Amino acid sequence: MLLRVLGGLLVLEAAFMLIPLLTAMIYGESDVEAFAISAAITGCAGLLLSRVLKVQSGNFGKRESFLLTGSVWVVFSLFGMLPFMISPIHMSVSDAFFEAMSGFTTTGATIRATGLPPLGHGLMMWQALIQWLGGMGIILFTLAVIPALNNSGGMQMFNAEVPGITHDKLMPRISQTAMSLWGIYTFLTGLLVLLLWIGPMDIFDSICHAFGTMSTGGFTTQPDGIAAYHSDYIAIVITIFMLLGGINFSLIFAAILGNWKKLTTNTILKYFMATILICWILFDVSILINGQAHRWQDLIISPLFQVVSTISSTGYIARDFVYWGQFPLALTFIMMFSGGCAGSTSGGAKIDRLIYLHRWLKNEISHCIHPNAIYTVKVNGKIANPDLVTKVVAFLALYMVLIAAGGTILSAMGCPTVDSFFSSFACISNTSFGASVTGYGDDFAVIPDAANWVLAALMMIGRLEIFTILVIFSPSFWR
Amino acid sequence: MRIVIAGAGEVGSHLARLLSDEEQDIIVIDEDPERLAPLDSNLMTVCGKPTSFLCQKEARVGSADLFIAVTPYESTNIVACGIAKSFGAHCTVARVAHYGFMDPANKETMAKMGVDRLIYPEYLAAKEIITSLEHSWARSWYGLHDGQIILVGVRIGKKAPLNGMQLKELASKPWGFHISAIRRNHETIIPRGDAIIHEGDILYITTIRENVESLVEICGKTNRKIRKVIIMGGSKIAIRLADMAKGRFKFTIIDNDKSVCRKLALKCPDARIIHGDARDTDIMLEAGAEEADAFIALSSSSESNILTTLTAKELGIPKSVAEVEDMQFIPQAEALGINTVINKKLLASSTIFQLLLDADSSTSKCLALADAEVAELEVKEGSKITRAAVKDLNLDKSMTLAGLIRDGRGMLITGNTVIEAGDRVLLFCLGGALRKVEKLFG
Repeated sequence: MLLRVLGGLLVLEAAFMLIPLLTAMIYGESDVEAFAISAAITGCAGLLLSRVLKVQSGNFGKRESFLLTGSVWVVFSLFGMLPFMISPIHMSVSDAFFEAMSGFTTTGATIRATGLPPLGHGLMMWQALIQWLGGMGIILFTLAVIPALNNSGGMQMFNAEVPGITHDKLMPRISQTAMSLWGIYTFLTGLLVLLLWIGPMDIFDSICHAFGTMSTGGFTTQPDGIAAYHSDYIAIVITIFMLLGGINFSLIFAAILGNWKKLTTNTILKYFMATILICWILFDVSILINGQAHRWQDLIISPLFQVVSTISSTGYIARDFVYWGQFPLALTFIMMFSGGCAGSTSGGAKIDRLIYLHRWLKNEISHCIHPNAIYTVKVNGKIANPDLVTKVVAFLALYMVLIAAGGTILSAMGCPTVDSFFSSFACISNTSFGASVTGYGDDFAVIPDAANWVLAALMMIGRLEIFTILVIFSPSFWR
Repeated sequence: MRIVIAGAGEVGSHLARLLSDEEQDIIVIDEDPERLAPLDSNLMTVCGKPTSFLCQKEARVGSADLFIAVTPYESTNIVACGIAKSFGAHCTVARVAHYGFMDPANKETMAKMGVDRLIYPEYLAAKEIITSLEHSWARSWYGLHDGQIILVGVRIGKKAPLNGMQLKELASKPWGFHISAIRRNHETIIPRGDAIIHEGDILYITTIRENVESLVEICGKTNRKIRKVIIMGGSKIAIRLADMAKGRFKFTIIDNDKSVCRKLALKCPDARIIHGDARDTDIMLEAGAEEADAFIALSSSSESNILTTLTAKELGIPKSVAEVEDMQFIPQAEALGINTVINKKLLASSTIFQLLLDADSSTSKCLALADAEVAELEVKEGSKITRAAVKDLNLDKSMTLAGLIRDGRGMLITGNTVIEAGDRVLLFCLGGALRKVEKLFG
């Protein structure tokens, strides 16, 4: 059953490969062959799995749901890397896998050194497309289009994939929920394409940037990123949509339905906005101190763009970020850790969890003075179940442990220590900046092959929010 | 259809699962998050009081087609229905626990309070028991349209003439009936012509009134007239039963609580009340077990109901009925040879389920105890099912057409029957297929 569903999903992926194939054909590039071969391999493998295997039992339990969700992401990346390997740029297996995983998890890190000739349009489209797919989630997409998955275990898979602590259902049925989430996502992406296209951007670039922005993956067709356009209009539009990408989609859904009250009363959204505002002001202070405020736009647009890009884990970089001094960089770390709201396409540990942690810590400290008092963690006007709080704290602890473990392993492989820790942090947070921030000087290109796999694993763990993946490796899962 | 269920107790949960599998949009409201947690799969849950305005607003009751209040408290249910109605719910159903609400004289008052329909599980159970006592040879008996079409469930014994027969052979015999479903090893099958009847099968047979006599014979049964009935446990069902069937049967009620016994004496003046433990053989003999025709166990514990019924069988009481509220015991109880199993939850949920079927007949019902559904549907003008004779329709294997009512008269359906618009068709289908089937009828 599991493999059969997986097969069906691969056929779906093959269908998606036709989009870059078409793009490459339009631009008359040599990638056509690569996509044709990849799509054929993926499609055949998918058909083989879904047709040849007999269904043994149609039952889909908790275990299968976790396993399916985890394996879908791995398998999709395994097949998604084919175009990178077959195309004329000939990436190695580990590089290509890293690239594909980085796309699907919306990390947006690239292994390719700057300075190499730019990719063909087909490959760029593929990179953008996998970010877009991964942004809202492969499983969620499947739930929306394949109703068969709905009855058994659909909810568990939904829980396993959608980031967040608790999950708001928009509609009674999961397929309806998945469809409305994907509906909003597609609608916003379409809107963004239109807005960018109206601005001075050609249609190909606007589609790619819309995919990269809405999924908060941060894909860009330009070597210099968004800064290359020198356009305030584009910066503003992208800032708005990155912000939307960092907000819980069920809130956006409520807003579209006209329920604005839900937006204004949401604690998490308030904190999210407040964090952005505070960071913006601090950025401005730093810019002024460093004497970088040449125009009013340098205080209004650029820092806001940078703040939103970081907190939503998109990873676009404002033009003069490197000249703003050390303080913004430190703030960047904090924002990378927090990430956006749960239920959005952004990465990081999610601001919701930090709110829980903050309130829980406050209670623990008060508890030292008044041991008999009962304290509760209240978020959004509701008292959180103590089990939930424990899970949040456990999540954050595991998050730190994984960053440390990733960093240590990378150092052991010969990477510089600071960079090891930073890149493992960036990967688990699904945020990635270009050369200037990581300190490598050359993107992720310098790290050894083995380290690619470690980072790819961290990205997936970060995207699926730790428990989904770790549970598969726990002994009790297989018992 | 958008359905809001208030109360995630056993009836509510069962109903929510049943309806969610039927592709309905379900929203469940309950105060206890623990009770909602296991439900939260393919439906939406709202945690809060069913009588809270805020909660009902959150569940968007106003756009609901059906609001069902099945919390354990009738007053909560009625108030919740009233609120839901004022929000604009199309139809409201409340579970009640007193006969007074059911009284037709009070219907207008209930409608004023915003309650369209009432569910009174104890009443349903009592009705079910009476039917099973009246037709003691059958395990279940449903008369549709004043008994124009009759649906019976029969367990086939070793000596029954039907034992070992293939369904095809039946066609050549002059018996007029239709074997619609077979329940074998906890599984329901819709039989085809090549199916063979085994000993121990429970057959669901559709027939018309005139043929019942011959049916009793070929199933290897005798129709025993039931007169003396022993009831264990003075529950609400027992009181209702004694009240509804006071002329027809002679009741003896055994209860081990003295104060309950005193109350029973007041409420059921025609019944004999005995104080004692029905598990004790001496008490049973005192209650007249030797000449009793039926034993009905209605205590609050399913286990003791099942065990006492078995003891009663050993004492020689031919007909046994047990109330089994724990769902997981039902197949076991059936396998142990208890003639009729009563479950309030299933009765309540199948009645509510019935409200959803577009057929607006109150007698058509669902065979909830088996995993098949029986429904009576009206054929609309120009629907698919009228296009050819039944055998040429290529109907789905998970369903079978059993009988129909045309111009107020019941008739059986054979391969050559052509169904006409306006007919009411009785059909069987396996779990979940009912929605599909409804499309056939336009």
